Amino acid sequence: MPMRLPPYRPLSPEDVRKIDQTSRRILERVGIRILEQSHLNILKAAGAIIDQSDQKVRFEAAWLDEILARAPSQFILYSRDGKNDVHLGKGKVYFANGGRVFRILDMGTGGYRLTMLRDVAHTATLVHCLDNISLYIIACQAHDLQPQHYHLNDFYHALNHTTKHVMGGCDSREGAEQMWELSVFIAGEEEELREKPFVSVITNPISPLTIDGNTLDILSFCCSKSIPVTCAPAPISGATAPATLAGTLCQMHAEALAGVAICQVFSPGAKVLYGAVPTTMDLRHMEYTMSSVEMAIMNGAAVQLAMIYDFPIYASGGVTEAKRPDIQSGCEKTFSNLMVAMNGADLIHLAAGMLDSGNSISYEQYVIDNEIIGMINRILSGISVNEGTLGFGVIEKVGPGGNYVMEDHTIEYMKEEFFYPDLSVRCNFDIWEERGRPSMLSRANDLVDEILDDGREGLLDTDLILEIKKKFPGIQNL
Amino acid sequence: MSDFKGLTEAVIKGDIQTAVAETQTALDAGANLQDILDKGLIAAMDQVGEKFSTGQMFVPQMLRSAKTMQECMKLIKPLFQEDELATKGKVVIGTVRQDLHDIGKNLVAMMMEGAGFAITDLGVDVSPKDFTQKAQEVGADIVAMSALLSTTMPAMRETIEALQEAGIRDKVKVMIGGAPVTENFASEIKADSYAPDAGSAVIAAKKLLSIS
Ligand code: B1M
Repeated sequence: MPMRLPPYRPLSPEDVRKIDQTSRRILERVGIRILEQSHLNILKAAGAIIDQSDQKVRFEAAWLDEILARAPSQFILYSRDGKNDVHLGKGKVYFANGGRVFRILDMGTGGYRLTMLRDVAHTATLVHCLDNISLYIIACQAHDLQPQHYHLNDFYHALNHTTKHVMGGCDSREGAEQMWELSVFIAGEEEELREKPFVSVITNPISPLTIDGNTLDILSFCCSKSIPVTCAPAPISGATAPATLAGTLCQMHAEALAGVAICQVFSPGAKVLYGAVPTTMDLRHMEYTMSSVEMAIMNGAAVQLAMIYDFPIYASGGVTEAKRPDIQSGCEKTFSNLMVAMNGADLIHLAAGMLDSGNSISYEQYVIDNEIIGMINRILSGISVNEGTLGFGVIEKVGPGGNYVMEDHTIEYMKEEFFYPDLSVRCNFDIWEERGRPSMLSRANDLVDEILDDGREGLLDTDLILEIKKKFPGIQNL
Repeated sequence: MSDFKGLTEAVIKGDIQTAVAETQTALDAGANLQDILDKGLIAAMDQVGEKFSTGQMFVPQMLRSAKTMQECMKLIKPLFQEDELATKGKVVIGTVRQDLHDIGKNLVAMMMEGAGFAITDLGVDVSPKDFTQKAQEVGADIVAMSALLSTTMPAMRETIEALQEAGIRDKVKVMIGGAPVTENFASEIKADSYAPDAGSAVIAAKKLLSIS
């Protein structure tokens, strides 16, 4: 069903203009600190103003606009089988899981443990099978891998367990190169991958207003290979950004625009997503709070800011501080995912699987979030009003006192009008008792077992797998 | 002058300018040094602690008050005899090698500074060698390391080894923390202490140096 007009906007057009102007003033007057001379030289040659003494680059307004104009307003994050391509900039909202945690809540044991390579594979399988999660982000650190072939392995096992687009962070330029070489091999030709990139890379500036040299190395490599990227600022209101939502947005918008601009300097036309991960601090005790209601509002507002420039956005939603799938996780996740979706974000990352302020995941949370997102998608598609749905004919036919159960009209519309959850418990009390008192969580646990037992491993062709392993001996088996 | 109301109020408010001016006025009026300290500054910080624990004050306000007190101390300190007013202890702090996360580390440093420790902050991506050299240079009592990446935690062990090699492991206490770091890990690498948040880091540091 097509998405209708987004019904909620945290900022008025005038607010949007004021924030954008302040951000541009930040870029022009304060600038972005870049901790690597070679990159400062590149930016200088392209026309940026460099303050050599404090390693800052400043963006004069006309120059900024000229550079930003090179960025595409639409592009596709390709799936490998063409079934789940993500069309950015087309007004459609897509959801992705969240990445790179170090801990997992293992429902088998009920406890937490460090994440391993098999968790990369399992989460990729979950995303592959869950309809409302459109692409896979490398979910966790594989603690059983050595650093030297790290990204070769996490991307390989991800690609072998889902045909959906795979996004991930890379630790270094070498890591990005490993990932790219593997992807070229799978694509067959470098040109093929350039045309239809089925992998993309996440980086972040360091708020406030700093970008690390290593991050720029990764970005410049990816942009040169036409691998889509984002450089997504993660300012924390009250810690690494002002303790006002507007102030945090001004700084975040400046950082995000700088990320887009620098990529366009590296490679004009580079496929880059405007990034936004604004969060907050609970200033009572300085507890990091990823999932505050203000986080939800700011991510909604970030969509409005990206829209002024017509850039596709990588926004955030679906996080929680809760340590288990529970009431808190349910409401926190719903607030932010819904609000950001209603603002029309192109891609909402962190939308599934996350727990514990972005430090942990659980498989069950993946399927629960998939269901929450299903409901959000239903909200976005709105109420369809036409001759058929108005239903005068059937109302007239049934008339006062009848019912609609067996009517053609019911049978015609019942599938597309309603969202049918897999996990919510809707049976009546007696049946509920008979079934052993299931809950959303127990049903999630069953569904996870079902999906993982099915073991959809080996999505890459068997011959290809053998060739890959010959060509890349650094690949470890699960 | 026995009434330090203006001074205590300014410290509680975190109003540095007024507090420093009040301290100067008290000194000019010939007030007893120990009184300015006890009845003015420390009395104010006691109230701050009380207000914080009952939720009337938030962390930024508490840190501001501590900072205000330090600024006042700058005026008083030179007037005390050297050994009458020793700082709580010297701490060399940083985020470990290849790790750029510094928010938690900064909070720990701010809180410790507020509690009276002398802090040398080495910033982020600090190598074992840099920790060791700085610790030797300043004669540190505590080396405090933060790591936010499970992949950079091994650098904590390496830093402890470097302290050992430099022959100063028995002279410094080692404290570690950060989201993926655990108590178990601390004992595994033979760190002296682990703290789960900034508040407990201060308590742990005091305990390590047996100060109250
Ligand atoms: C000495 O004694 C002590 C005692 C107590 C101590 C102590 C020392 N140090 C800390 N404490 C304790 O007291 C503090 C106050 O109470 C507490 O400190 P914390 O630091 O825990 O708490 C702070 C007050 C607030 N917390 C934070 O500031 C960290 C928040 C999260 C979201 C986070 C942030 C903000 C950032 N990140 Co990063 N980041 C995440 C974090 C997830 C999380 N929830 O922790 C984490 C840690 N990051 C991660 C990753 C993967 C990364 N990050 C990266 C970058 C960044 C930003 C730059 C965007 C930003 C950092 C900005 C900055 N100036 O620090 C990259 C690495 C950069 C590098 N080389 O270090 C990158 C690799 C991302 C990428 N692009 O791929 C994950 C780590 C996974 C792992 N293997 O461990 C992560 C869990 C999030 C995730 N799921 O991806 C206690 O731990």
